Amino acid sequence: MPQLHDVDYTLEYPYTRTTGPIIGPFLTGLRDGRILGQRCGDRVLCPPMEFDPDTFATLESDLVEVGPGGEVVNWTWVAEPSAKHPFDRPFGFAFIKLDGADTALVHAVDTGGDPEAMSTGMRVRAQFRDERHGSVADVYFVPEADAADQVIEPGEEPVTITEHLIGLRINEPLYPHRARFAQGLLDGKIIGQRSPVTGKVYVPGRGYDNMSRVLMSESDEVEVSDVGTVVAFTELNPVQYYGQTETEPYVRCSILFDGTDQPVIGIDIRDMTVDEMRVGMRMRCIWRDPEERSVEDIDNRYGNIPETVYARFEPTGEPDIPADELKEHSW
Amino acid sequence: MAPRPCAVIGVGQTKYKRRRDDVTLDGLVREAALRALEDAGATFDDIDAIVIGKAPDALEGVMMPLLSLCDALGAIGKPIHRVHTAGSVGASTAISAVNLVESGMYDTVLTIAYEKQSEGNATWALSGGKSGGQGAGGTFAPWIRNYIARSQAPEHIGWMVAVKDRLNALKNPYAHLHLPDISVEKVRESPMLWDPLHFLESCPSSDGAAAVVLGNDDIAKKSGRPPAWVISHAKRTEFGQFPGRDTVRPQAGVECSEALYRKAGITNPREQIDCAELYVPFSWYEPMWLEGHLIAEEGEGWKMTDAGDTELGGSFPVNMSGGVLSSNPIGASGMIRCLEAANQVRGTAGEYQVPGAKISIGHAYGGAAQYYAMWMVSSELNPVF
Repeated sequence: MPQLHDVDYTLEYPYTRTTGPIIGPFLTGLRDGRILGQRCGDRVLCPPMEFDPDTFATLESDLVEVGPGGEVVNWTWVAEPSAKHPFDRPFGFAFIKLDGADTALVHAVDTGGDPEAMSTGMRVRAQFRDERHGSVADVYFVPEADAADQVIEPGEEPVTITEHLIGLRINEPLYPHRARFAQGLLDGKIIGQRSPVTGKVYVPGRGYDNMSRVLMSESDEVEVSDVGTVVAFTELNPVQYYGQTETEPYVRCSILFDGTDQPVIGIDIRDMTVDEMRVGMRMRCIWRDPEERSVEDIDNRYGNIPETVYARFEPTGEPDIPADELKEHSW
Repeated sequence: MAPRPCAVIGVGQTKYKRRRDDVTLDGLVREAALRALEDAGATFDDIDAIVIGKAPDALEGVMMPLLSLCDALGAIGKPIHRVHTAGSVGASTAISAVNLVESGMYDTVLTIAYEKQSEGNATWALSGGKSGGQGAGGTFAPWIRNYIARSQAPEHIGWMVAVKDRLNALKNPYAHLHLPDISVEKVRESPMLWDPLHFLESCPSSDGAAAVVLGNDDIAKKSGRPPAWVISHAKRTEFGQFPGRDTVRPQAGVECSEALYRKAGITNPREQIDCAELYVPFSWYEPMWLEGHLIAEEGEGWKMTDAGDTELGGSFPVNMSGGVLSSNPIGASGMIRCLEAANQVRGTAGEYQVPGAKISIGHAYGGAAQYYAMWMVSSELNPVF
């Protein structure tokens, strides 16, 4: 089995959050060096909540300053912080009941890396970071004796929308059937899988026949023709989104390769316009030179026949296949 | 044992907008829920269970949103369920809530679906975060081209649907798009996004939530509000890709509508159903679903559109509220179809009411047109056809 690349990429997006009438002022307060709690009956909730947790009633914005001192009511220790933690040395996460509040805020306590300095009932005090953006990370806590007095310059505009780069790193081996398919492309071959039950040929294979519910393995693999028939197409005018690099319109089509029973979707055509394309048109893959082929874009979920293996698809000049005969291959 | 009869006794919607920047996601969802409770004459205390739905978590980047929504929806101490079937989720969610009442397990169930699209980007999410993503429009456009080729429909059909739904939306205060000067010319001349779909033939990106309160027959009779009896519902699924798949007329869609009509005793949907809210995010899906859900014969759906039959005053009005083409908080869009079908048979559809509507359907599809969810509502518990 060929040894190809591992899949390794980060799926991430700069999501925004609207902060609303209660969380917005709370975050604005943090930026301005103040911690605010929400009045709820005869209690003060910090962190503030939008809805009464007991009666579910809507709470009108009624914020009052709490802290900056408070008491640890429970805690745990983070011995090995990750890159996204608030400190690069070991620290505590604690429930902190701030002075004037009736509920506890979960936050980070910096004891200089010393777990012995943490205890239930200990007094802590808020410290504000030099750079503040209207985020819960604008503040952190230290043992009260270690706290420094701070002078905080308030900002101008209230915080109404916050931005957060939220991501998920995906790191996994290429599945064996995907690796063999990708290796085939490097060799200038299109590898499909023939169902041992129905004889139908899937390309690329999934490692199973979804209709007959049987596994398919290397012994079910067949090389298929690199000549086929266009069964569907459109011209994409690329939507501009985070991470999109396409800017100009181009044709994307599905091709049913000869001897297969399921079209390959997502084949991009750069040298023909939508008006030059036809359902039923016969096309041939013109491969890149072997040393120019790459399959880095193929992962376990995305990527069929990427442009990094072919130079273009060229009409063969044969007569079109009647569209009626392609009705059941319309993706 | 026969299922317990179930009715819509309250509905609530938010105003659909490009960005609701005045509320949190929780606040937005709650807004719809409170309006539905008010319409039902109920409070959170009357609710036995909650069912929520939304499209993929990647749309807003909030994982397991039901955790924080518990507070906003008064769910503490009660069962909460979350449903997920991509774009069809709003209708699947509503039907899942109906199942809970029909089973006899709960008397009154609150169901809510939502999306706050402005917090993320749907095309990014549907592209797996990679460049070159085609989004929903780019996926459906080739199938639409094949529909046009197969049915020999003239190109203006898509433009007509785009205009008709936006004109209907002018009568709906909750609709996102209010485009009073919309015209076939404007649609035709708007930028081409995914050939043959123009910008104005495509749904907007909306923030919003929709909620429905469902009750069993005892609750419905006591509520004093006009009920919409859920007399039939069906869900069907198929693979996104398999040899022999007809993407223009997916088999699961045909079978879903067959099951829906059979259970209700409908033998002639075109005549026996008064109006429909169909999931039409891109203009051409109106004729495609008229055919794919057996309201029109194969190849005849576009002729209904062309003849004006699907207009508000036509013989079979479709998307009286303005449809997905006018408001698209993705996860909620299917529930809005179900809710608006209920509005019609309750007689509460305001300016877009179909006079005397007694039987209506709400519909949604999702994924690569592979999930289907439909419900039929009636002003009477046991209508005679």
